[in-house]
Amino acid sequence: MLRGARMTDRAPLLQISDLSIRFAGVPGNLVDGISLTLNAGETLCIVGESGCGKSLSALALMGLLPMPPAKRMSGQAIFEGQDLFDLPLETLKDIRGNRMAMIFQEPMTSLNPAIKVGEQIAEAVRRHKGATREEARDRALEMLRRVRIPAPEKRLDEYPHQMSGGMRQRAMIAMAMANDPALLIADEPTTALDVTVQAQVLDLMRRLQRETNAALILITHDLGVVAEMADTVMVMYAGRIVEAGPVRQVFEDPQHPYTIGLMSSMPDLGPRGGRLVTIPGVVPPADAMPEGCRFAARCPFAGPDCAIAPPLRDLGGRHRVACWRAPLECGAPDLIAQGVAT
Amino acid sequence: MSSPDLILETHSLRRRFVTRKPLLGPPVEVRAVDGIDLRIRRGETFAIVGESGCGKSTLARMLVRLIEPSEGTVLFENRNITSLRGEDMRAMRRDLQFIFQDPFASLNPRMTVGALIEEPLRAHGLGGPDERRTRVAELLERVGLLPQHADRYPHEFSGGQRQRIGIARALACAPKLVIADEPVSALDVSIQAQVVNLLQDLKDEFALTLIIIAHDLAVIRHMADRVGVMYLGQLVEVADTDTLFTRPRHPYTEALISAIPVPRVGGPPPGPGLQGEPPNPIAPPAGCRFHPRCPYATAICRSTPPSLVPQASGASVACHRASELVLQGLRDTGTGRSPAAEQRFALYRAMRAQREGSNPSVSQHPDPEI
Ligand SMILES: Nc1ncnc2c1ncn2[C@@H]1O[C@H](COP(=O)(O)OP(=O)(O)O)[C@@H](O)[C@H]1O
Ligand SMILES: Nc1ncnc2c1ncn2[C@@H]1O[C@H](COP(=O)(O)OP(=O)(O)O)[C@@H](O)[C@H]1O
Ligand code: SF4
Ligand code: SF4
Ligand SMILES: [Mg+2]
Ligand SMILES: [Mg+2]
Repeated sequence: MLRGARMTDRAPLLQISDLSIRFAGVPGNLVDGISLTLNAGETLCIVGESGCGKSLSALALMGLLPMPPAKRMSGQAIFEGQDLFDLPLETLKDIRGNRMAMIFQEPMTSLNPAIKVGEQIAEAVRRHKGATREEARDRALEMLRRVRIPAPEKRLDEYPHQMSGGMRQRAMIAMAMANDPALLIADEPTTALDVTVQAQVLDLMRRLQRETNAALILITHDLGVVAEMADTVMVMYAGRIVEAGPVRQVFEDPQHPYTIGLMSSMPDLGPRGGRLVTIPGVVPPADAMPEGCRFAARCPFAGPDCAIAPPLRDLGGRHRVACWRAPLECGAPDLIAQGVAT
Repeated sequence: MSSPDLILETHSLRRRFVTRKPLLGPPVEVRAVDGIDLRIRRGETFAIVGESGCGKSTLARMLVRLIEPSEGTVLFENRNITSLRGEDMRAMRRDLQFIFQDPFASLNPRMTVGALIEEPLRAHGLGGPDERRTRVAELLERVGLLPQHADRYPHEFSGGQRQRIGIARALACAPKLVIADEPVSALDVSIQAQVVNLLQDLKDEFALTLIIIAHDLAVIRHMADRVGVMYLGQLVEVADTDTLFTRPRHPYTEALISAIPVPRVGGPPPGPGLQGEPPNPIAPPAGCRFHPRCPYATAICRSTPPSLVPQASGASVACHRASELVLQGLRDTGTGRSPAAEQRFALYRAMRAQREGSNPSVSQHPDPEI
């Protein structure tokens, strides 16, 4: 009887389907058929090498891609019941910085160097919440406190350049979270930081997320960060999703040759081993993407059938893989027979 | 105990930079490197680690005299390189080579790759033109590029390939010691692994001593025999790699290790770890420089600087409480990967070996892009 109500309860916060992006002058899609689902309070990590389309996907979602030269070839992004790709600019601006917010590797992408940090946060609050100057300033102070900036009263009146790198990162997070967004997109927020400061920033994001139940899309190229932060993970290669699913499944039962290569390329933290097992070669350039599987030129499992692009198939339990050989033990039976994989 | 064969030593090495000259009063100085005593053993891989700004690059550059020290000495094979001149200096430069983090910035964009690799050979008067060309071709192949790449320019190559070019150039004169400043930090994981393997292979092949600076502790754990941990211009711990990671003796080392994101699912979530950022090296804290961030600090730490003291374990530690503290090493080392993941890795390795013949070494594998 309550089915209708329950279904709305469970409607995902964000559902992207078949997002493809192209740039003028580049023949192939730079983002090619991305689909994903994200629930409130959930953390999705997007991982992949530079140039694989992580930032483009995130910027498209925020409506921040320059169009032209960028062009969305297909796709829907239903966020809180509305298609983000089909909204008037004014409506999108109301959502941005309010219901969804984005932070970057370089804090000065978001912060204005000429305006005091407190004023910038307060302004973000006033724009969306119609708060008075005083209320907005109080909120800015509260946010600086929540991101654990020492002496927040004093910092309100500082300019970004008066802060250290780690402090600016916190100020940017404070601004992004000031309006309690339902979705935070973080594009490599800790890539430029020392491990110690990275640990602080990740801890901060986890804590804010617990307090607000926001969903988080965290873009990173560090599988360690993925393991610590993600509920679900999406591995991208050359503009496509090659593997996605609950983080435990992907780490403990990796299926795509690229995911496996990436994991074995990482130096293990265990006792010292010999050589790293690597992925040969490099990512194909954007203007020479193969028609079929984009990983084929580097893939040790590739065969003639890989000249046709493999679809992203669900192997069960939301574990999705785009490889003709998946599940691998069935796809490479000759090696199993030789006893290699037992 | 017989003393090890040392290839490089530093004694009380210091370097100050003037950052500002106010109208009144003395110039403002940063003590980038503030009293370093290193003892590098012949044939080892020694890693230097620490947060950015702690003086790693300044130290590395002083070791090859790309920067002159303010005080102290650098001994290479028992000779003080800081006082070498003329021909002696040139000979020293041949034995000591440097690899930069950003190979592009360090390579003249108007020279072909061949000319860049040949340059050190020519500078040291090694071989005639034909021999040098042959040598350049050999080096290119050895670092996983192709002989015909000699005619191209650096901008035509990807980051990983440029790093290979930088490595070929560093190896051209068959040096004894190579110092690499963050050689893989700017590279993607898969390319980083290729370059790490290449460096390790070449180290064995050329019987090199390698000093590597990195902030990625997993890379250090994989490559280094010994590690020196720096904090604000000073060494705080020097130890064998295994000892350092499993039984750190300095609280800062413990903090660095606990901050490594471990690529395993299901472990206890890490805490916030070390608070704060490194203080300003212009006015380092009195006493132990780490005391404002150290969870174990006591009164003496605020007043008296500890010095680097050898411990029974063989490690050297600069901490007043080194002998009493029991610190936490790497979390989670024992658990390993899941059987399914291990099986998948084995399968992947086997497939690669099968496709490429017996040796799954990617350094033999020219990048298909060019
Ligand atoms: N303005 C642009 N014009 C043309 N190509 C672009 C532009 N911006 C990005 N690209 C290309 O799109 C691809 C994906 O880029 P990006 O999403 O930034 O990668 P990532 O964030 O995963 O490193 C890359 O190949 C990049 O070169
Ligand atoms: N040429 C220079 N002039 C002034 N200050 C410098 C110079 N080079 C380095 N420094 C300062 O010295 C300290 C150590 O720098 P560096 O050796 O580059 O550290 P790391 O390589 O560990 O990041 C930093 O505070 C840096 O700002
Ligand atoms: S589809 Fe073929 S080329 Fe692509 S990952 Fe699978 S086996 Fe490799
Ligand atoms: S000397 Fe004191 S402050 Fe310094 S690391 Fe040791 S316990 Fe901490
Ligand atoms: Mg990006
Ligand atoms: Mg440096």
